[in-house]
Amino acid sequence: MIQKKICMVGAFGVGKTSLVARFVHSIFSEKYQTTVGVKIDKKVVQSRGEEVTLVLWDLAGEDALTTVKPAQIKGASGYILVVDGLRRQTLEAARDLQRRVTEVVGNAPFVCVLNKADVRETWEVQPADLEPLAAQRWTLVETSAKTGAGVEHLFQALADAMMQEHHATDSTTGAVAG
Amino acid sequence: MSTAPSAREPSPSEGANGDPSGGYARLRELLVGPEQARLEELQRRLDDRQLRTEDLSQVIAEAITLRLRRDRSLQHALNPLVEDAVRISVARDPGILASTLYPIIGAAVRKSVAHALRGLVDSINQTLERSFSLESLKWRIEARRAGKSFGEIALIHSLRYRVEQVFLIHRESGLLLAHAARAEQIVQDSDLVSGMLTAIQDFVRDSFTGAGGQEVETIELGEFNLWVQHGPAATLAGVVSGTPPPELRGLLERTLEQVHSDFAAPLSEFKGDTSAFAATQPLLQGLLLGQGATVAKHKSRGFFIAAAAAVVLLIAAGLFLLVRHQSRWDRLLLRLRSEPGIVLTSADKSWGHYRLSGLRDPLSTDPEALIRDSGIDPVQVTAHWEPYVSLHAKFSAERRFRSEKDALEQEVLRFPLNSAQLTSEQLIRLDDVEAHIVNLQEDSAAGQKIVVEVRGHTDPTGKEDRNETLSQQRAEAVVKALSDRGISRNMFRTVAMGSREPLRRNIPAYMSDLNRRVSFRVIVEAEGAR
Repeated sequence: MIQKKICMVGAFGVGKTSLVARFVHSIFSEKYQTTVGVKIDKKVVQSRGEEVTLVLWDLAGEDALTTVKPAQIKGASGYILVVDGLRRQTLEAARDLQRRVTEVVGNAPFVCVLNKADVRETWEVQPADLEPLAAQRWTLVETSAKTGAGVEHLFQALADAMMQEHHATDSTTGAVAG
Repeated sequence: MSTAPSAREPSPSEGANGDPSGGYARLRELLVGPEQARLEELQRRLDDRQLRTEDLSQVIAEAITLRLRRDRSLQHALNPLVEDAVRISVARDPGILASTLYPIIGAAVRKSVAHALRGLVDSINQTLERSFSLESLKWRIEARRAGKSFGEIALIHSLRYRVEQVFLIHRESGLLLAHAARAEQIVQDSDLVSGMLTAIQDFVRDSFTGAGGQEVETIELGEFNLWVQHGPAATLAGVVSGTPPPELRGLLERTLEQVHSDFAAPLSEFKGDTSAFAATQPLLQGLLLGQGATVAKHKSRGFFIAAAAAVVLLIAAGLFLLVRHQSRWDRLLLRLRSEPGIVLTSADKSWGHYRLSGLRDPLSTDPEALIRDSGIDPVQVTAHWEPYVSLHAKFSAERRFRSEKDALEQEVLRFPLNSAQLTSEQLIRLDDVEAHIVNLQEDSAAGQKIVVEVRGHTDPTGKEDRNETLSQQRAEAVVKALSDRGISRNMFRTVAMGSREPLRRNIPAYMSDLNRRVSFRVIVEAEGAR
């Protein structure tokens, strides 16, 4: 059985928890996030014919008072950056977070989520803002916590990327061992 | 590389000296002049220590970083250097290192001492508890037979705890590597619990200890304990109900060490594939120690102790009563045997009933009263006393006293009609009265005061008030006569009876003469009661 730890990070109030609420298996209440700073959920997906259990660390949103703690990100095989389409500064926060997460977990696969796709016409984030990200080969997924659009795709994309990494490193370690 | 320039170097100078025209030298200078200048510059840099040091200083940090990434040989190479440097530093001035280490040394010592003390207290408690039980003896025998340590056997048998679940957790990611639980245990989402457990530990560490290197080792929640053992790559957590014995900590440690040594490669290469850790199951299952019904067991033990205590108490109370009865009985027999006028011939008891028999002088103390005094219920005692006369001095004196008293009270002095004058014939009788009174005085026991009541009587004829006076006069005449004979007046008390107390009622007239008389009553009073 394959298990992968993934983290979900983003600025405060971008709707991380409600985004995944309907799609993950959870036994802990949202109170954990405000007290312990993290809430852990589970999502099982199929990737390349294998069952992968994603253990999702839903980290408390970053604001002036809380910052993402390296201990919580450590050991993650992938992560989700959540951006609120209605607020451009959350995109900036995501870029900053991506840099900091990379310092801890290295070049792990990640997906950048543009949330609140149901009100796309009122977005502050413009396509021009996203171009540099696409150029850096960021995987961008539009989602809506309201309609649920894009969420399954988000998990699938991340799982696929991680499994590719998993088998790639498998073969390299195999080569080294051989 | 160093040989090539030095081989070449002499040639330009040679050429400059040997070639008169200087054409060759110039040609050379034209052709390789710039390269030569650079070679010279390089040579200078290599020779100049100062410059070389400067060069090296610019890249040394990057070089070390690069090398560290590649392998660990630098660490090995630097190890003796660091050790030596520390040694020199200490030798030169121990204060520097001491003040550097000061902030952490206190914490380290405290932690270690606290850990040791906690273990000690736990084990003392346990030892005390166990060393006095029958169970522990059984365990010791079993330990000797099985060739195991007592601790191990005790751990297996201790019924006050139960390891419900064991989690083997990948330290870095918090992912669950393996999990073992009792068959009857309902396990929900152990992988989520594992993650959250890791997160909570991070949270506690970040929030309360501030410093790194400290770990959460115990979480208590009601009757559940979470015991966490940390290793470099994995964490072992046991959910224990009841009070876990301290030996369990050691077992967790050993198991975790074994996991680290047996699964070193899968642990270091772990990327999420937990199948390699299925083989840890036997190790984890081995940790599911203890047995169920811990609380009930505790209760029944408590009940047993209470019942035993009650039985012991009852027995003790029974024994106490028995002993008390026996001692009361013994004391009663002693008393009866020493009592004058009582001869105890047999005394026995059966089933709580006592039987006494013997001889008793009627003048002796009432045995019934003695029984009551002893604290034994008189209902429980059947006594049969045969009357006899004791020759005990106490009784002979009393007996004499009584006979004198009876005799005196029989005496009657008669008077003629309407007279308070003792006739001469009566005066003779007065001698007897006097003798009785003197004897009474002699035989009276110490502390007794004897009062002789002198009672004057008349016959029923005549007026009652006259009779009253006359009877008084008769009594006084007798008292006077006796005191004249030398008996203290204080002994007497006169009572005027009038005609109220005739010898007999409705007697014929000739016999009514007998009513004109003085009679005596002896009253014994305690000394001082007047």
